[in-house]
Amino acid sequence: MRAGLSTIQQTLTPEAATVLNHSIAEAARRNHGQTTPLHVAATLLASPSGYLRQACIRSHPNSSHPLQCRALELCFSVALERLPSAQNLSPGIDPPISNALMAALKRAQAHQRRGCPEQQQQPLLAVKVELEQLIVSILDDPSVSRVMREASFSSPAVKATIEQSLNASSSINSSTIGGGLGFRPAQTANRNLYLNPRLQQQQQGSSPQSGQQRTEEVKKAFDILLRAKKRNPVFVGESELESVVRELLQRIERREVGDGPLRNVQLISLDKDFPLDRTQISMKLKELEVLVETKINSCSSSDAGGVILDLGDLKWLVEQPTGFGSPGPAQIQQQIVSETGRIAVAEMAKLLARFNEGCAGRLWLIGTATCETYLRCQVYHPSMENDWDLQAVPITARNPHPGLFPRFGSNGILSSSVESLAPLKSFPPAPPALARRPSENIDPAQRMSCCPQCMENYEQELAKLVAKQFEKSSSEAKPEATRSSLPPWLQMAKPDIVKDQMQAKDQELMWKQKTQELQKKWDDTCLHLHPNFHRSIGSDRIAPPALSMTSLYNSNLLQRQPFQPKLSLTRSLGGTLLMNKSQPPNQHSEREVTPPGSPVRTDLALGRPKISENSPEKNHNERIKDFAGCISSQQQDNVSDWQKDKAITPLDADSFKMLFKGLTEKVGWQTEAASVVATTVTQCKSGNNKRRGGAARGETWLLFVGPDRVGKKKMASALSELVCSSNPVIIHIGSQSSDDEVLDKNFRGKTVLDRIVETVRRNPFSLILLEDIDRADMLVHGGIKRAMERGRLADSHGREVSLGNTIFVLTASWLPENLKNLSNCIPVDEEKLASVAGSDWQLKLSVSVKTSKRRADWLHDDDRVTKPRKESAPGLSFDLNEAADAEDDGREGSRNSSDLTVEHEHGRSLVNVRPSTTTASVQLRSSTTTPLSYELLNFADETITFKPVDFDSLRSKIASTIASRFAAIVGDSWSVEVDTETLEKIVGGVWFSQTQVVDWADKVLVPSFHQMKTGLSSAAISDDTAIIRLVSVRDSEGQQNSEEWRLPDKITVAVDNRL
Amino acid sequence: MGIVEEAHNVRVLGSGERIIVLGHGFGTDQSVWKHLIPHLVEDHRVILYDNMGAGPTNPEYFDFDRYSTLEGYAYDVLAILEELQVESCIFVGHSVSAIVGALASITRPDLFSKIVMISASPRYLNDVDYYGGFEQEDLDQLFEAMRSNYKAWCAGFAPLAVGGDMDSVAVQEFSRTLFNMRPDIALSVAQTIFQSDMRQFLSLVTVPCHIVQSMKDLAVPVVVSEYLHTHFGGHSIVEVMASDGHLPQLSSPDIVIPVLLRHIRFDIAV
Repeated sequence: MRAGLSTIQQTLTPEAATVLNHSIAEAARRNHGQTTPLHVAATLLASPSGYLRQACIRSHPNSSHPLQCRALELCFSVALERLPSAQNLSPGIDPPISNALMAALKRAQAHQRRGCPEQQQQPLLAVKVELEQLIVSILDDPSVSRVMREASFSSPAVKATIEQSLNASSSINSSTIGGGLGFRPAQTANRNLYLNPRLQQQQQGSSPQSGQQRTEEVKKAFDILLRAKKRNPVFVGESELESVVRELLQRIERREVGDGPLRNVQLISLDKDFPLDRTQISMKLKELEVLVETKINSCSSSDAGGVILDLGDLKWLVEQPTGFGSPGPAQIQQQIVSETGRIAVAEMAKLLARFNEGCAGRLWLIGTATCETYLRCQVYHPSMENDWDLQAVPITARNPHPGLFPRFGSNGILSSSVESLAPLKSFPPAPPALARRPSENIDPAQRMSCCPQCMENYEQELAKLVAKQFEKSSSEAKPEATRSSLPPWLQMAKPDIVKDQMQAKDQELMWKQKTQELQKKWDDTCLHLHPNFHRSIGSDRIAPPALSMTSLYNSNLLQRQPFQPKLSLTRSLGGTLLMNKSQPPNQHSEREVTPPGSPVRTDLALGRPKISENSPEKNHNERIKDFAGCISSQQQDNVSDWQKDKAITPLDADSFKMLFKGLTEKVGWQTEAASVVATTVTQCKSGNNKRRGGAARGETWLLFVGPDRVGKKKMASALSELVCSSNPVIIHIGSQSSDDEVLDKNFRGKTVLDRIVETVRRNPFSLILLEDIDRADMLVHGGIKRAMERGRLADSHGREVSLGNTIFVLTASWLPENLKNLSNCIPVDEEKLASVAGSDWQLKLSVSVKTSKRRADWLHDDDRVTKPRKESAPGLSFDLNEAADAEDDGREGSRNSSDLTVEHEHGRSLVNVRPSTTTASVQLRSSTTTPLSYELLNFADETITFKPVDFDSLRSKIASTIASRFAAIVGDSWSVEVDTETLEKIVGGVWFSQTQVVDWADKVLVPSFHQMKTGLSSAAISDDTAIIRLVSVRDSEGQQNSEEWRLPDKITVAVDNRL
Repeated sequence: MGIVEEAHNVRVLGSGERIIVLGHGFGTDQSVWKHLIPHLVEDHRVILYDNMGAGPTNPEYFDFDRYSTLEGYAYDVLAILEELQVESCIFVGHSVSAIVGALASITRPDLFSKIVMISASPRYLNDVDYYGGFEQEDLDQLFEAMRSNYKAWCAGFAPLAVGGDMDSVAVQEFSRTLFNMRPDIALSVAQTIFQSDMRQFLSLVTVPCHIVQSMKDLAVPVVVSEYLHTHFGGHSIVEVMASDGHLPQLSSPDIVIPVLLRHIRFDIAV
C-alpha cells in the first residue's frame, strides 16, 4: 500500500536517508505502530550539533539558553510517549511510514524540485531531497509545530531561519511553497486536525469516551508497575490527575489487578504537609522508611507483597513551601528549595534501591505532576528520573487548552506563534501562515460584526476580562499564577529577566486569544439572537473569505508566475492532442450519448450559438423573476402546461370559427375587425405569419387602429379570454398616471418597457394590451419595434426576455392614411363622450314650470361650477353642436404643425374649452409620432382597423327608449325633457359600460318614473304648467368610482310642491 | 463509528480497489447520487457523506464561522478521508462540492487521484472579464427572497435549478432536500457559495480534473467550464452533456450516468 522504504530512500540524499533510518529505528525501539514526523523531528534534534537544533536556537527571539532546547527535546519525548504503541506488529518489521510523514517527504521532494529551476524537466527520481528540505517539510507538519509551540518555539520561525541560511549559503533557491498548504493532521496523536471544532466539543462532552480513556490510562499505569525497569508511574498532565490516581488506587485496593505481583500490595500515602522544611525532611523520610519496612515485612509471609507509595503531587520537590514565608532574595529561596528537594530525592532513591534489591517485597512510587513540575524536576534533579525509576504517563486533558488546538477559521493554527515573532517577520519568505485572517489578528475590532446591542455586551465582558487580567498580573509574584498559560515551563527554568519577558509575551498571546474567543462568542450569539442585523450586513460578512485565501496563497502565485505561460501553453497543446488520443477508448462505451470522436472543442462549440448568448440570459431573467416572486412561477407553470397542450393542437378552420364567433359575440359592432383578428391569430398560432419568414416564433403582434377605444379594448379582452383564458394585461403607454385602471404599485417607478418585460416574465402566455402606442415616446417605441423584429424584449437594464407566446395588442387611435377616407362619416367623439360620462354624475327627475323659451340654465351653471375638471379632458362639453364637430373634422385632415400649436395653446388655457380639444390634443401627439407608429405597422402581424362607431343611432335609441317608458308609465299628458348634455352622458354611460339600453331603462328609469307618478298625483300639479326634466347632477359621493364608466343606478325624484 | 463519520452521515458502500467519494452540492444530500451508486458499488468502494448544513446533518454542528468560506467544507472532506484512512480516492463533486474537492486537493494532493466535477463554477458573479451568470443585484434579490419566505423560495428555486417542470420527480426531490435545510443555514450556505471566488486558486489545483457540465444550466454557464479548463493547474477535460439543469445526475440520469462512469473509469491520457 505504501511505496517501499527503499524507493523513498532513493529520493533522499544520504544525510536525509540516515535521519529517516534513525527515526524508523527510534519508532521501532519505542514499539510504535508508525514512523511519524515526530520521530524524525526528535531524531533531528537528538544529534547534538544538529542543524535543527541550531536553527531552533537561532530562531528563538530571546536568548539562546541551552535549557530551551532541552525543553524542546523533552516535549518531543513526551509527545512520542503519547503515541500509541503497535498492537499487532511483528517485531522484526520496521514501523511503516505514516501518512503524515509520507506527505512531508513528498512535500520535501516537491520543494527540492521546485528549488532548482534548471532541473525542472528532470524526472522525479533524479531529485534528491536534502536534509534542509526534509527539515523544512517536517517543520510544516502540524503535529511537529504543535509540539514545538508547547516548548515556546515557532516552527515557521525556525523554518524561516533555515531558509534564510539556505538562501545565504547556497544558490539553491528554496521556497516556502506549501508551507501553509501542506500541513498534515496529527493522525498519530489521535486527533484529526481537519475536524470541525463543533464535533470536537461534542466529542469531549460525551462522558463514556472520556471514561474509557481514563481506564486506558489506568491500564497503562498497571503495565508500567509490572515492568522491571522504569516501573514507577508519574502521571503528567494539567488536569484530572487526581481522578486517575484515585481510580488506580481504588482498583488496587479492590484487588482488581489479577494475579501479578500487585496482588497484595499495600498503600501508603504521604501526608499532604509532608515536607515542611529542610530540617524536617530527613526525619520524615526516616519515618517513612520504617513504615514501609514494617509493611513489607508484615506481608512478606505471603509470596508476593509490596508497597505502593503515593507521593502525591511532586510539586514539593521543586517549589518552596508556602509556609516558608520569610522574605529573602529569590536566589536563596531557590537554593533552599533545591536543597530540600535534593535531600528528598536522594533519600527516596536510597529507599527504593534498598527495597528493590531485597527480594522480600517491592516498593513502588506513584506520583502526579503537571508538565511544568515534571520538567522542573528533571532540570533540578537530573538524576531523579533514573534513581526513582520513574516513567511519565501523560494524561491528556479532556478539554484542550484553547491555545493548543485553536479552531480553524477563528484563528489559524500558527497565528499566535507568528504573532510573537515580530523580529522575524521581515524575512523574505515570511511564514505563509495559517493565519488566514490578517485582519482578525491585527485588530479584533475590525471584524466584529455584531449589532450594537451585542457589541455593548461584548465590550462589557471585555472590560471584565481586562480587570481580571490586570488583577492577575498584579499578583504575579507567585509563579504558579501563570500555570494555566500556554508554555509555562520554560519560564520557571530561566533567569528571571527572561522569565518576565516570556510571561509578558505569553500573556499578550493569551489575552489575544481570550478576546478572540469572547468576540467569537458574541458574534455567534448575535448571529442567533439578531439574525436581522446580520442579514443586512450579510454580504459584508461574506466578503473577507476571498481575501483570506489570497493571503494564504499569494506567495505561491508569485513564485509560479514565471512558469505560468509555459505551462499553459503546453497544456493547451496537450489538451487537444490528448482528446484525440483519449477518444478511441471512449468510443466503444456509451456511444449514443455524445457524438463519438467529437473533441472537447466541438462540444463547446455545439453549445455555444444559442446557449452562451441566449439561454443564460433568458434563464437569468426568468430566474430573477422567480427569486423575486416565486409564487408566480407556479401559476406560470400551470399555465404553461395548459398552454402547451393548447399550442399543440393546430388552430384550424374550426378554431378560427370559434374565435370569430367568440369575438363577434363580445364586439358585435366590429365584425370586420373581429374577422381579421381571428384570421391573424389563427395564422400566427399555426406558424404562418407574414413577417417572420418561417422562423417559428410564439408571439403575435396585433395593431388595433381606429377610433373605437371601447371596441379595441373589448376585442382585446375577448381575444385574451378565448386564447389565453385569462384577462388581458393592460399597459397604458400614453398617460399612465391619469387613466390607469389599476396602477400596480409594483410598477411604480418603472418604465413602460420594464413593465412589459415584467409582465412577460411573469407569464409568457398572456395577452398584453398596450394602449395608445401612438403616444409612446422614442424609447418605448424603439424597444417595441426591436421586440417585434427580434422576438425579444429588453428592459431598461438591458436584460432581455423572450416573448414566449405572448399576444401583444397595440392600440392607436390614428387611422392609416389609406383608411382615412373611410372615416369621414360621423366624427369620432369617443374621448369627449368619455369625458362626459366619466365624470361623476347622477340623474335627477324634477318637475319645473314649463317655459318654452328658457332652459334650465341655472342648473347648468351650477353644474359647471361644481364639476371638477379633468386634467386631460375638459368636462364642460355640454354644448355639443355640429359646428364643433365639423371644425374638428377639418382639423383632423390637416396635420399642420402651426395649426396644432394653436390648438395646444387652447388646451392649456382651459377657459371655455371647446369640446374638440381632447381629440385635437390626441392628434397632436399622434401626428408627431405617426411616422414612428407607421413603422410598427410594417412589423406587426396584422393591422386591424376599427371603424368609428355611429353614436347617433345609439343616441336616438336612448332618447326614444326614455320617451316610450315615460309615456307608458306616467302617461301621455306629461312630457319628459332630456337635455342634450344628459343624453350625451347617458349615451356615454351606455357605451362605455356596455349595458343594454333596455335593461338599464327597465331597472333604473321605470322605478323612478313610477315614483314620479305618485309624486305628481299627490302634489296635484297640472300637466300643462309644468314639465318633467331628466337632468344630470354632479354626484357628491361617488368620487372614488370615477375610474369606471357607469350609468347611474338610481334616479333622484324631486317633486316640487310649490308648483 | 467516529465522530466525523457520524456527523456527516458517512456511508461506505461496495467493495473494490478504488475509492470513490461522492460530494453533493447545495440544497441536496447524499441521496442525490442514488442513480449513480448502483453502477459503482460493483467494483468500487463508494464513500457517501452529507455536507455540514445539509438537511440530514445536525444543525448544531453548523459553525457559521467555519462555513463562511469553502475552506471549512474542504477541511470536512479531508477530515472524512482522514478518519476513514483513505490514501487515495477519486472525488466526484457536484456543484459547490466540486470546488470544495479541488480546494481540498490543493492542501492534500496525495489524497486525490482525480476529481470529477459536475456543474462546477469558481465564481458565480460576473466580473470584468468573466461571465459567471449572476449580477450582484440578482444575488441580493435571491438572498432577500430566501430570507423573506424560505418555503416559497424553495418552491420557486427548485424547478429553476433542476430545469424541469414543477411536477417532475427530480424537482420534487430537490425541493424536498432543499427545504430540509434550516433556513438560516441555507441562507448562510448560499451566501458563501454564491459570493465565493475561487478563480485564483484554480492554478494551484494539480490533480486531474474532469469537468462535466449540462448544456443548459441556470447557475453555471457553459463558458465557465471552459474557464475552469483553461485555468486549472493540472490536466483537465471538459464534457458538455446534452442535459438540462444544474442537477443533471438527478434530473437526467440516463444521459449523465454513462458520462460520469466513463470519466470515473478512464483517466485523461497524457
